Amino acid sequence: MTRYVTTRFLLMIPTLLTVAVLIFLLVRVVPGDIVELRLVSGGSYVTREVVEAERARLGLNKPLGAQFVDWMTGLIRLDFGTSMWSGAPVSQEIGLRLQLSLELALLATVIATALAIPLGTLAAVRRGTWVDQAVQVFSVAGLAVPSFWLGILVILFLLGTLHWLPPLTFTPLWVDPVANLSQLIWPALAVGYRYSAVASRMTRSAVLEVLREDYVRTAWSKGLAERVILRKHALRNALLPVTTVIGLEFAFLIGGLVVTEQVFNLNGIGKLIVEAISHRDYTLIQGLMMVVAAGYILANFVVDLIYGWLDPRISYG
Amino acid sequence: MAEAALPARIGLAFRPHPIRRFLRRYPLGAAGAAVIVLMLLVGVFSARLAPYDPVAADFGAQFRPPGGAYWFGTDAYGRDVLSRLLYGARTALVIGFSSSIVGATIGAIVGVISAYFRGATDLVLQRLVDILISFPIIILAMAIVAILGSGTVNLILAIALSFIPRAERVVRSSALAIRETVYVDAARAIGAGHWRIIFRHMVPNVVAPYLVMLTAFLGQAILLEASLSFLGLGVSEPTPAWGLMLRGAAVDFVQRAPWMAIFPGLAISLAVLAFNVFGDALRDALDPRLRM
Repeated sequence: MTRYVTTRFLLMIPTLLTVAVLIFLLVRVVPGDIVELRLVSGGSYVTREVVEAERARLGLNKPLGAQFVDWMTGLIRLDFGTSMWSGAPVSQEIGLRLQLSLELALLATVIATALAIPLGTLAAVRRGTWVDQAVQVFSVAGLAVPSFWLGILVILFLLGTLHWLPPLTFTPLWVDPVANLSQLIWPALAVGYRYSAVASRMTRSAVLEVLREDYVRTAWSKGLAERVILRKHALRNALLPVTTVIGLEFAFLIGGLVVTEQVFNLNGIGKLIVEAISHRDYTLIQGLMMVVAAGYILANFVVDLIYGWLDPRISYG
Repeated sequence: MAEAALPARIGLAFRPHPIRRFLRRYPLGAAGAAVIVLMLLVGVFSARLAPYDPVAADFGAQFRPPGGAYWFGTDAYGRDVLSRLLYGARTALVIGFSSSIVGATIGAIVGVISAYFRGATDLVLQRLVDILISFPIIILAMAIVAILGSGTVNLILAIALSFIPRAERVVRSSALAIRETVYVDAARAIGAGHWRIIFRHMVPNVVAPYLVMLTAFLGQAILLEASLSFLGLGVSEPTPAWGLMLRGAAVDFVQRAPWMAIFPGLAISLAVLAFNVFGDALRDALDPRLRM
């Protein structure tokens, strides 16, 4: 087990390294760098020397290989460098926003799970009835409605009924939970709905599959109560694929909140990505993409571990 | 005469036309198909259907509520929302279809090649796919738009490229099984070359997963186009596109002119819903094992 975890953990390193190389090259393929964007396209006249000096200051005049080595040696020491646009350390820029985005992602996950597991199970148990139909319609619609539009509708609703808008500045949960939640619960609802649609579809089909198993029939014939069968026999086994979906969707959420953050004017990772790309802020884009990719790879790893915990039959040979 | 007609009629009752059978077994999918056909018609005939020019600003008619001459109201530039919605269908369909077809096709071909050659080719391709898949699709598309620049063609390419690794995954797993079939062995035995086996024997047999994936992509592509346009990275003004209609003024003036935000969102939701339910039904009809 320990050995499996270590190898599996170490295997993440080559993947991340490839991601790093790809991102590094990718951002440099983008036409126009930050110096051009800031000095030249501003409309003001600058001499070539100024442009070159600025490039040199940012290290953009070095050969690609040297730039990459610089970045990598920094990364090993967990130093992401400084943002080319703001001059602040990348880790600080990301850290500020990650707090908001992570909390939003967590809230959305909680909402989605709380909705999806009961709804999906109910649909499976009452298969073919109107309950099942209703849940299916609910989840099919969740996949079709754009979350940013849902966000706009939420804002419209809040304005229409309460004449109130969620606060624009982020307050950490431990400073003022009420202010924090009154800001983040709305975007979390808008995102969580789509997320719950994915998860409830998965729950329904997983529970349906398990309900056909022999041990469930045995449980019924033993005369166990429906509640016990569902909770102890069906749901426990059905949770395996559901966990995967929830875990992977969570990883996607951290970066995928881009559009929702825009609607609610939240200063999160998604908004930072949009800004970093439009500023051609190489160091910041690189740092952000590494965080997003690492988050996804890590989530995959955690999901694998949870598998073993949920299903002891899975051996880590 | 009567006796002769009888078996034919029974035969018909047991084996209805495949399309009719699809309609009966998957009413929801059929409804989706109907909406798609309607959208296609709207897209083709938007010029005839639209009551106004979708791009002409009319500053005498800003923020008109729905009703009267403007069924769905007007926007911040006095443009007719209904006309822009109708033209927007064209944009959504052109981008949705072209990006899905390009993405699914390239992905499918790479998937088959990867499964056929296995070994080093497969290993390298799979690691590449692993990495591309570890980015949320919207971030991948955003990065590609940033590289290529905005514009309709680049938007199509960006969406298509983000679909490639996903299509590759699905098709590869089907192709791995096909590779072991007798007819592939037979083809090899009579001396067929790699490319002949790939394109004449393997590719035609992954058509079912390919079609299922294609329809699944269509809804996603429309949603993705809307999201990117909403972020300002997709279709640019004044081209009528649903996502773009939700950007800027629609959010700023949401209380004063809610129709600006409500109708385009409904259009996106309906279109994506139609493609999704049709895709689900098609998957169940073609190959239930592909349930994802």
